[in-house]
Amino acid sequence: MAQPLSIRVAQHGGNSVLKFIGWLSALSGIVAAFLIVLAVAITCQMIFVRFVLNDSTIWQTEMVVYLMIAATMLGLPYVQLLRGHVNVELLPMMLPMGLRKVLAVVTLSVAIAVIGAMLFYGYSMWHEAWSRGWRSDTVWGVKLWLPYLAIPVGFGLYLLQLIADLAALLFGYEKPFQLDEGGN
Amino acid sequence: MDPLVLGLLVALVTVAVLFSGVSVATGLLIVSAGFLIIFDGMRSLELLPEIFFGKLNNFALLSIPMFIIMGAAISSTRAGADLYEALERWLTRVPGGLVISNLGACAVFSALSGSSPATCAAIGKMGIPEMRKRGYPDGVAAGSIAAGGTLGILIPPSVTMIVYGIATETSIGRLFLAGVMPGLLLVSLFMAWSLFYTWRYGSADVLAVRHYTWKQRLEILPRVLPFLVIIVGVLYAMYGGVATPSETAAVGALLCVLLAVILYRMWSPKSLWVVLRDSTRESVMIMFIIGAAGVFAYMMSSLQITQSIAGWIGTLDVNRWVLMGIINVFLLIAGFFLPPVAVILMTAPILLPIITTAGFDPYWFAVILTINMEIGLISPPVGLNLYVINGIAPDIPLTTILKGSLPFVGCMVVAIILLCIFPEIATWLPDYLMGEAR
Repeated sequence: MAQPLSIRVAQHGGNSVLKFIGWLSALSGIVAAFLIVLAVAITCQMIFVRFVLNDSTIWQTEMVVYLMIAATMLGLPYVQLLRGHVNVELLPMMLPMGLRKVLAVVTLSVAIAVIGAMLFYGYSMWHEAWSRGWRSDTVWGVKLWLPYLAIPVGFGLYLLQLIADLAALLFGYEKPFQLDEGGN
Repeated sequence: MDPLVLGLLVALVTVAVLFSGVSVATGLLIVSAGFLIIFDGMRSLELLPEIFFGKLNNFALLSIPMFIIMGAAISSTRAGADLYEALERWLTRVPGGLVISNLGACAVFSALSGSSPATCAAIGKMGIPEMRKRGYPDGVAAGSIAAGGTLGILIPPSVTMIVYGIATETSIGRLFLAGVMPGLLLVSLFMAWSLFYTWRYGSADVLAVRHYTWKQRLEILPRVLPFLVIIVGVLYAMYGGVATPSETAAVGALLCVLLAVILYRMWSPKSLWVVLRDSTRESVMIMFIIGAAGVFAYMMSSLQITQSIAGWIGTLDVNRWVLMGIINVFLLIAGFFLPPVAVILMTAPILLPIITTAGFDPYWFAVILTINMEIGLISPPVGLNLYVINGIAPDIPLTTILKGSLPFVGCMVVAIILLCIFPEIATWLPDYLMGEAR
């Protein structure tokens, strides 16, 4: 379902902090992409072991799932940077520029608050798994703090990109919802 | 507060939040967190990251990025143009055959790529100018490609069907099979309309038959067949019980990338990165919605809303077809504004108990739901395909594209009606090949 449409990217207006956050999000996206490649490779290896070598597999299925979760979490800031999180711009398009900016500031601020809460409680979840030495109840029995780490790290980086987007909006580096005056 | 009133309030707030321009996934998290804080207190948020993680902790989800990579690899090559040319060369004996080849190419390519906009772009770039050059009416040229592109979410392997399977815990293999015959029905209806309109309003050139030699016809096949072999192989491996959808999709993804590299010489790291980047973007977007929709479903059930709605519908004394009609209108409206994946994730868990209680087949319903989503793809205000066509053929006014697409919306409505009268169109193939669903 890759879309051949033009890709919009977050604007930083030359601000070095915003530029750095954008770079961090891009790096995070590259890591996410390679985690997906790794998941493909491990799945193929698993099929080879199971169907060609007729052997049983122990860690592969779980590992692939954790890699996908990590890829999703690390991909969040990158997709935000590329404006790839799908949204409905119906209301912003109907509003005049001034109100549109107010709406953008409000929605971004609420999003920041909620993602901040996900980061806070995500960190608690990770910390509990880490301090109590929780393990998954499978043959592999992996230490759960490892896959759980993706949650606070992913939400943390996503939060950072959202804050950068809010700053870019307030500093006037970016138009609200990246829409022009006419709504295009 | 009465859970039903609360449910109505949640629905209104969700619509308001989603229309505000915030991303769908974040919007779902905002609504869920807001209602949980108000009705269950701040501490109820503690569980959300665990629920989010739990929703993504599912091996079946792997098939989503894998099928997306498969589609992205194919879309990045000239496979679409080759497919179009191949069908053109083989279908020239039919008067007005060009629109038939275009729709056929759309059906096959959309199944390969799983993406509506990618299909419109790949086939439309060649197909629309060629059809116009040969005297086909602009509306048919644009409308057929816009509608043809929507077939990808119905014809297997379809990411939309996978998402439905995950949201409703139904068999993905069976869902894929359920989409085959309705997909063919839709293509036939699209072709019938296009031919009728072309014969009536097209110029004389349209009816002219072109000739290709057998050499020309055969030389194009090696460029098209390998991709078709992979898709057939992937589907065979799934139904032959060789491997799960996720495993076969991973092998399919690897083979499609290798084919793109070998056959279309796509070995520059930059073009490979574009495939990977687009796939990552698309997969992460969908996976985030899946996780957030899981949190949304938890909020609905924790506040007793889901249970109350199901109970309430059970007490209603309405004809089940009236119920289905209402659900269809609701889905249609949702599809006008939201992408298929979001509609399915938000509504399927609530609608499934209702439709199964009313005695409808969940696999048949998946097809009905998907066709509703297809209509949304070629209807304003969002109608992604219309804008893609507008992008590749800027001199055709948007109103002409829209008018040209409308009859195809009509074809989809006819398909829904036919499926309601003859549900076997969707259920026969999976029942025949996999036995009746339990």
